[in-house]
Amino acid sequence: MNKKLITLIIAFGLTTIVSAETIHTTVNGMVCAFCATGIEKTFRKQPEVESVKVDLPSKQVTIKTRPGKTLSDAKIKEVVTYSGYTMGKIVREK
Amino acid sequence: MKTIPLILVTTFATAFVSEAKPLSYVGGTMVMQENDETGHTLSLDYTFTPTEAFGIYIKQEENGKDIFMFTPEINTLLKRWNLPDGQGNIFNMSGAGVATYRGNNQPSLWTAFLADYESRRWFLSYEPRFVWNGDIEKSVSQRARIGIAPYLANYNDLNAWIMFQVDHHPAKHDHFVATPLIRLFYKTYLFEIGYSSNQHIMLNWQIQF
Repeated sequence: MNKKLITLIIAFGLTTIVSAETIHTTVNGMVCAFCATGIEKTFRKQPEVESVKVDLPSKQVTIKTRPGKTLSDAKIKEVVTYSGYTMGKIVREK
Repeated sequence: MKTIPLILVTTFATAFVSEAKPLSYVGGTMVMQENDETGHTLSLDYTFTPTEAFGIYIKQEENGKDIFMFTPEINTLLKRWNLPDGQGNIFNMSGAGVATYRGNNQPSLWTAFLADYESRRWFLSYEPRFVWNGDIEKSVSQRARIGIAPYLANYNDLNAWIMFQVDHHPAKHDHFVATPLIRLFYKTYLFEIGYSSNQHIMLNWQIQF
């Protein structure tokens, strides 16, 4: 019984450690593909980032991190600001 | 790898800048070519900070004195407003180099300001330009544009705009020129085609890589 419980705890822990994170952030000022390309390329340069998806109607950038990696709010704000735009709210999901 | 498109572009663009933004993303190279009733312009810029790009500007003027200008240029984002549904900018573009007219070489200085507002539906811009080419020419010109997107395109769609441009350049034969045009762009590839009131075809393009 204890052995099964320990195995479950370890498995859950490993899943948490290696799972990727999906981050949604809104970007004010992102109104065209020209603007969005700069943001997309700058996020893609980050070693923690697996993929980036842009949705212009919702002004949202969706960032999927590599397994076990994350991007802090401060880092996301830095990338968005460096690209010339203003960051809105951030929503994270595992 | 990045040098291949650069060589191709500069090879084909032998003489031909656009009302599009004069700055790319940091580390991005941008080639703009404008071929309209004012002449042929080519600019090649590298964006090295979020607010500054440096490059070269070449212009062969027409519809007046056929002046050739070659200047290094610096493009600066002076102010940006990131709004929930739009973006406003004020840019300065300036260059210093050489102007040639009938074998007469003169120093060339020019500066222009570009103010624009863009939402997914509307586009507005105004650009005054000041040129001093020694004893060849001193001129002030201005350009304004309004545009509407017939449909709201997403990131991976072809974006289309219907635009109307008005130029006022007292140094040219035709002081006021109106040009209806269509702008198409897909991600970082932009193309414009129009026809001016003084019967010149406009062909502009811009590539960022």
